[in-house]
Amino acid sequence: MTGSPPMIPRERCEYSAIVDRPPLKLPGGARMVVWTIVNLEVWDIGKPMARQVLPAPTGVPLLPDVPNWSWHEYGMRVGVWRFFDLYKRLAIAPTLSINARVCEDYPRVAQQARDQGWEFMGHAYEQGPIHKETDQKAMIERSMKVIEKFTGKRPVGWLGPGLTQTFDTPEFLAEAGVKYIGDWVYDDEPTVIRTAAGPLVTLPYTVELNDIPMMLVQHHESDHLLKRSIDSFDRLYAESKERPKIMSIAIHPYISGQPFRIKYLEAIYDYVNKHEGVVHWNGEQILDWFEGQAGEAGSKS
Amino acid sequence: MLPTERILYSPITDRPRLKLPNGARMAVWVIVNVEEWDAKLPMPRTVLTPPAGGSPSPDIPNWAWHEYGNRVGFWRMLKIFDEFRIPGVLAINGSALAAYPAIVEAAKARRWEFMGHGFTQRNMQKVENEREDIRKTADVIEAATGRRPRGWLGPGLTETWETPDLLKQEGYEYVADWVLDDQPVWLKTTTAPIVNIPYTQECNDVAMMLIQHHKASEYYDRAIDQFEQIYDDAGDSARVMALVAHPYIMGAPHRTRYFRRIFEVIRQKSDVVFMTGGQILDWYLTTGPKAP
Repeated sequence: MTGSPPMIPRERCEYSAIVDRPPLKLPGGARMVVWTIVNLEVWDIGKPMARQVLPAPTGVPLLPDVPNWSWHEYGMRVGVWRFFDLYKRLAIAPTLSINARVCEDYPRVAQQARDQGWEFMGHAYEQGPIHKETDQKAMIERSMKVIEKFTGKRPVGWLGPGLTQTFDTPEFLAEAGVKYIGDWVYDDEPTVIRTAAGPLVTLPYTVELNDIPMMLVQHHESDHLLKRSIDSFDRLYAESKERPKIMSIAIHPYISGQPFRIKYLEAIYDYVNKHEGVVHWNGEQILDWFEGQAGEAGSKS
Repeated sequence: MLPTERILYSPITDRPRLKLPNGARMAVWVIVNVEEWDAKLPMPRTVLTPPAGGSPSPDIPNWAWHEYGNRVGFWRMLKIFDEFRIPGVLAINGSALAAYPAIVEAAKARRWEFMGHGFTQRNMQKVENEREDIRKTADVIEAATGRRPRGWLGPGLTETWETPDLLKQEGYEYVADWVLDDQPVWLKTTTAPIVNIPYTQECNDVAMMLIQHHKASEYYDRAIDQFEQIYDDAGDSARVMALVAHPYIMGAPHRTRYFRRIFEVIRQKSDVVFMTGGQILDWYLTTGPKAP
């Protein structure tokens, strides 16, 4: 791919109105897929923290930022174990969007996810915007290798840290063997985008049913996670009569794993699972299904 | 010209009574904003900030979040307009006509009004040649619909001191940037006056959802509170209520039900009329005060 100028999004995929596409079809009478993504990160204490719950008294960020580091660390020590309990009880194996360094710094957590059969999705080596990587290609390769070594399987999915990409990220990802990305939240359905290194599938990840925008940016109350998820589900479920829908839920242990929030997360699944025709799939399962569909009906964009 | 040179202060209670046709008490117009966000520039709005802050470019996550509105959200909202027979007004960036032809066709098929909304989604004060931007937008709307737009809304309602003058000279008949009244008003320009039709920053999903970070239900609650008050106020003289939505905001599945319920409520009133900006303009030109 070297030498070709980076593409802007519109060059990778033409605009397409969802109503103009033939509906996809889910197997076995299913009409809706729920895709749960748990994000695990490493916040390096030597750097500014990725998010803050408590700004410094003067408003000027100071290093080290111990209060916000330890706020995030709570998620790894305590919060994530609430997730493991929940998904074991529900017999759901989510997708794990994981900074590769978690496998090195928190092997106990990564082992638990592996043992519960979660899908490992590449999520950079550690948390920070991908624009700041001096050698993006090497960082992506390193992340893939660390996870591959840990799980015995090379990830097929990728989510940029904070969904960040530069214009040439899709090429680097395709070259590293990534098959799907979650960075493009621009549709309810998977799509195919062009890269100089072959096609990539986009899966409908979410910045709406995501605890970062909801809790840390928009500062909603805890029960809004449940309310918004039910509102989304109701609408998508109604629409799934016409065409299958995928609903993603993106969570972080330091946010939704808090004792005052976890019950609202649990209640989402209680609500969703009362409905017929809902399956819980991970990213790789959605990818495999979509690729089978594309084989049947030609290319989808 | 300064705003105060274009229009004199006037309390709404001191004006001759305005009357809508067929005994209607108030008019509601619903504006859908369709924009194109250039992936090479900073995004006009964001839902997600990057880890550790800053504003690295390109900003693909927020570009994609907005693009969702035009691929999926618009079509969800369209069903509501159809269900309640709402005459839509499309405030559209000139560049968006070529980018989203399916949206243009859907709006044309329903005889929605096309309103100029900047050629691109950027502050009018940063546009290099404002007149050309305004004219080009009218040109592409005319090419797509066969008719030059009568109305204009600045991107983010932004104006320079000259904007109303340029709009009038370029053939626009009304502007919506001045949210200063519940009734249309005349604004002086360097040539003939132009009408301003009441738009809204209050019943507007950008302000409510993206700036004030309210829950989706606030959009419904505020619209109904606004509606009931204006309905009540309009006993003496007709008033106009605007409702503003963006496909990437109200077209998200978790927000749609709150958008829909508004029309369920308002449609129960037989003395409330849904109009386009052009229809409000025609009514005001016929029955309102003469241009100053």
